[in-house]
Amino acid sequence: MTRHNIICAVATAFVMISCGQPSVPDSYSKKDAEPHIFPDYTNVTIPSNIAPVNFTVQEDASEAVARFTYPGGEKVYGEKNNIMIDEDEWKDILAAAKGKDIKVDVFTAKNGKWTSYKTFTISVAEEDIDPYVSYRLIQPSYVAYESLYIEQRNITNYENDDIYSNMLVQTEQDGQCINCHSYQNYKTDHMLFHMRQSYGGTMIVNGDKIEKVDLKTEETISAGVYPAWHPTLNIIAFSTNKTGQSFHTKDVAKIEVQDTESDLILYDVDKNEVSYIENAEDELEIFPTWSADGKTLYFCSANFHYYGTSSVSDTTNLDTVRVKKETEMIQRYKECKYDVYKKSFNPDTRTFGKRELVYSATQNDKSATLPRVSPDGRYIAFAEGNWGCFHIWHPEADIRIIDLKTGEMVDTKAMNSERAESYPVWSSNGRWLMCESRRDDGNYTRPYIAYFDKKGKVHKAFELPQKNPNFYTYQLRSFNRPEFMKEPVKVTPHEFASVAKTEAKKAIFKK
Amino acid sequence: MTNKKTNNLNQTKKPSFVSPKPDIRKSPGSSLRLGEKTVRLLPYLYIIMFVALAVNYLILQNTDMLYMAQSHNLFQETPEYLHDCMKQPGGLLTWAGTYLTQYFYIPTVGAGMLIALWVLTFFVTIYAFRIKNAWSVLIVIPVISLLCSTIATGYWVYYMKCPGYWFAPSLGFLTAVLSVLLTRVMSEKVKLAWILVWSIAGYIMIGYFALMSVLYICLDYVINEKDKRMNAYVLPLTAVVISVITPLLCYRLYNNMRLEDAWLAAFPILSSGSDVSYMLEIPFAVTTVTPFLFVFFCDKAEKETEIKGKKFWLVALTTIAVISGSVYITDKVNFDDDNFHHELRMYRAVEDNEWNDVLQEMGEIKDDATRVMVLFKNIALLNTGHMGDRLFAYNNMGKMPYSFDSLKVHMVQTAASLIYYNHGKTNFAYRWAIENSVEFGYNIDNLKTLVRSSIVNEEWDAAKKYLSILKETKFHKEWAAKYDNLIKNPKTIGEYHEFDIVRELRNNMGSVLDGDNGMPEMYLLNYFSNTMNKDSKVLQELTLAYALIQKDIQLFWPRFFLYAQMHKGDAMPRHYQEAAYLYGKLEPFNVDISGMPFDKQNVIDRYNSFQDMSQQLLNEQRQRTGTIDSKKVGEAMKPLFGDTFYWFYFFCRDIKSN
Repeated sequence: MTRHNIICAVATAFVMISCGQPSVPDSYSKKDAEPHIFPDYTNVTIPSNIAPVNFTVQEDASEAVARFTYPGGEKVYGEKNNIMIDEDEWKDILAAAKGKDIKVDVFTAKNGKWTSYKTFTISVAEEDIDPYVSYRLIQPSYVAYESLYIEQRNITNYENDDIYSNMLVQTEQDGQCINCHSYQNYKTDHMLFHMRQSYGGTMIVNGDKIEKVDLKTEETISAGVYPAWHPTLNIIAFSTNKTGQSFHTKDVAKIEVQDTESDLILYDVDKNEVSYIENAEDELEIFPTWSADGKTLYFCSANFHYYGTSSVSDTTNLDTVRVKKETEMIQRYKECKYDVYKKSFNPDTRTFGKRELVYSATQNDKSATLPRVSPDGRYIAFAEGNWGCFHIWHPEADIRIIDLKTGEMVDTKAMNSERAESYPVWSSNGRWLMCESRRDDGNYTRPYIAYFDKKGKVHKAFELPQKNPNFYTYQLRSFNRPEFMKEPVKVTPHEFASVAKTEAKKAIFKK
Repeated sequence: MTNKKTNNLNQTKKPSFVSPKPDIRKSPGSSLRLGEKTVRLLPYLYIIMFVALAVNYLILQNTDMLYMAQSHNLFQETPEYLHDCMKQPGGLLTWAGTYLTQYFYIPTVGAGMLIALWVLTFFVTIYAFRIKNAWSVLIVIPVISLLCSTIATGYWVYYMKCPGYWFAPSLGFLTAVLSVLLTRVMSEKVKLAWILVWSIAGYIMIGYFALMSVLYICLDYVINEKDKRMNAYVLPLTAVVISVITPLLCYRLYNNMRLEDAWLAAFPILSSGSDVSYMLEIPFAVTTVTPFLFVFFCDKAEKETEIKGKKFWLVALTTIAVISGSVYITDKVNFDDDNFHHELRMYRAVEDNEWNDVLQEMGEIKDDATRVMVLFKNIALLNTGHMGDRLFAYNNMGKMPYSFDSLKVHMVQTAASLIYYNHGKTNFAYRWAIENSVEFGYNIDNLKTLVRSSIVNEEWDAAKKYLSILKETKFHKEWAAKYDNLIKNPKTIGEYHEFDIVRELRNNMGSVLDGDNGMPEMYLLNYFSNTMNKDSKVLQELTLAYALIQKDIQLFWPRFFLYAQMHKGDAMPRHYQEAAYLYGKLEPFNVDISGMPFDKQNVIDRYNSFQDMSQQLLNEQRQRTGTIDSKKVGEAMKPLFGDTFYWFYFFCRDIKSN
């Protein structure tokens, strides 16, 4: 060994010693409480393929370490107040603890004195989770928007990419809003998202083909809004909506988003045809979603009769009627409550049956929105609040689940909070439920995931892990419409942008 | 290889102004000449003049604007922030620019740093382009342009979509010039490789400025490298091609940039909606284009001695033109609109709850104020308890904010958040803080509004989130720490008296669905003048005062009587008496005022004098011209009666809010 090599070896050893793994203190006082950590991963159940659940210890301390004890070993992590877990070691820990528990002991130091807290458990489920999640990153804004991103995150690690960014085509004068990304059966070779205003249209990926379609027809009240791609056929159910918003002068809910009109349409991707599914008078139909077998379409509908418009003498003046409706809806917004319905669907004839009530939220003076049926068809999850259709602004809104076999409500306390929860989605194996929640601070929406075990029990929800445990504190955008995906979107943002700049293909209305 | 390097290094001459051995020679035949010693001092002379100019315009005239610049800036010491910055070409400039902008919190320190950066740029440019001392006055052009870019912004300070605007272009230009210097010391072969690497790496870090630097390098090579070993056309052509295709190559790396904008990445473009300030782009264009002229005034390895004869005249005329032009243009572009600066100072005073400073500033205004200033004055009067006796003691006429270009200044984008907050409309304050953050980026000012509004709304976790960000800043962590203690113990909110009035207003308001349609002043006037409240003296007074401003007799009386009922035993403020007396006279059938104890001297006698004088002036005008110009009558009466409700009622008209 040369002298140079010896010096290097000594230096390396020194660095390894000084920067080595943190250790648990020899002496400490005990505190009979679990530590305050953020994100809260105490006593949660996680999938065995999730990224490390790094967290920060929010105790009055200058230093913290956490010991992870799992079948066959233990590891200790800590960097100041942050518990940063090595990604490779985490995979080993999860592999060893699959179907079992990881015990976590947290120790904090203040003025050189160490304290230990009650051990908490992280259970590792047998079932994996879909590896990708996509969401729109958007400021919790009211009217304005600037840069918007639809991103995809590999939740087995921390990698994330843009699916699309409006800044690729946006100009100052003509901004572009993007929303409502949706996939066929958790796969990305058939997917869509909307673009509004500049270069507006619905971007549809249909196998190898990418097209921009204008779904607004003379007969429908708007272009397609909330989408649901049929699990096997090239057809998409959309709601069409006239949406407005107004502002609370004092209520911490701050915003009320209401639909004054809405219907359901079906879009045939191959034929480029739009037809009505539901457009009943006095009914506000919204949020279509297919059962996994594609034989039932679930949706929400509110019965709302406008009294004010009957005084409008010229009903052909649609602007006057709409203004009247908007005014009346603002005045009576608390009366607008949605129930969950379903319609049978024959995939061969592509015809729908009559609407049937699935769950009457109005009976309990509530409003149910955003239904999603579990992949096995047994459960239906939805968001429920006191009124309206936009529950992410309603602090009382929670996720509810009904067992469609027994008709009983599942206990979902473990995944809800005192703040708004909305947009429930099932993983493709039905064992994981993800929702949007504002529980962190009341204003910014974050993705939370809960284990739904084989017995139909909902476990405590955990926040999607991030590399920097303080990520959510500094992140000033909301995670909107988190959706599970089995694979990443393969079309690049630039490919989408090229199509976005082309003329949208006009959909044809079929009576 | 080593020899080549040595040769190249030897070719890189230092400018003679730092030569340790001055060679002073006299020119007996010519009286108009500059000796070598004087020539050596010229750059120092120019930079002293420039510094004096910069100190005057930045530190003596624009500290209020610099403070606002840092208020509208946010630097986060997190890896995510750097990552976000780097999502755009030139992101490193944004990162560094926002970091340095923080120092405008102490405007003199920030301005000092900016001036030091320009001084450094001045000397590095002389070295980089080997400018002869005689022509060093030309280097004043880019640095003066950078100075102009900072003092010309005016209300654009609220509309910036270029984070780090105040430092980023200066840093970009300095880096571009440094790259020229660095390239020169390289061997021929390394040079080509370096240009290839630098064009990409530089573009990623400093955007447009890197592309310009490649062109500078190319031009410098063509003009100055006498012993070109490389084919004379290879390097320059490569450089030009690279600067054109680099954005094309890099475009695919970025997901938030249009191709047509790729060449101007990190070049500050001030735009908001349909408004684009081309005028504010000129300084940056001048700064980055001027170096193409420098190559014609460079050393070319000649020894610089004295300046005489024709050259003397050429240098003298150029110097006079550049210096006088610089002084003239700097003075011309400096945004010295009085209202703008008063408004900035009032804004800061409102933020700091320094109500007397707000009123003092308002009292100093000679011309009509902006509507924002009028509202700030109202807020200060409400907080000092003088709404009823001093509301009309200040100029209530309002005019639109001055804009030198097409920028349309809207209250919602400037001060609406602060105004709403101080009216207890915390949800609306919150809304506009968020809307503006979406449009122009989160900044200190908006974060503070979000904290205050969340505290008053008792949304403790939201307040904690925003405070966490503020705690990471260089100069606002103490402010954040103060409220962090409150968040930990919300029950102590009563000890934080700065929230008293806002909480009282907010807590006594009704809860409804509403909207301001982007017109805050109209909304506030309508809302408060139509509100009645028996539980809060502050809110009730605001409803009465705004009913006065609305000049609505029907709204006035119920609020006036309620005020009297809620302030039994207190003296009725003068303006409320004036309104009651005037309305009683105008509509005697409505309310009988004969039994009301009006102040004889200040209310009744002044009303009579007001009526006499107005009648007299109107008659005189009618006799003289046959018509009546009430505006002229109002102007004539203003010195005597401008502080009364009478004058406001009859002559304060045609006010447009923004």
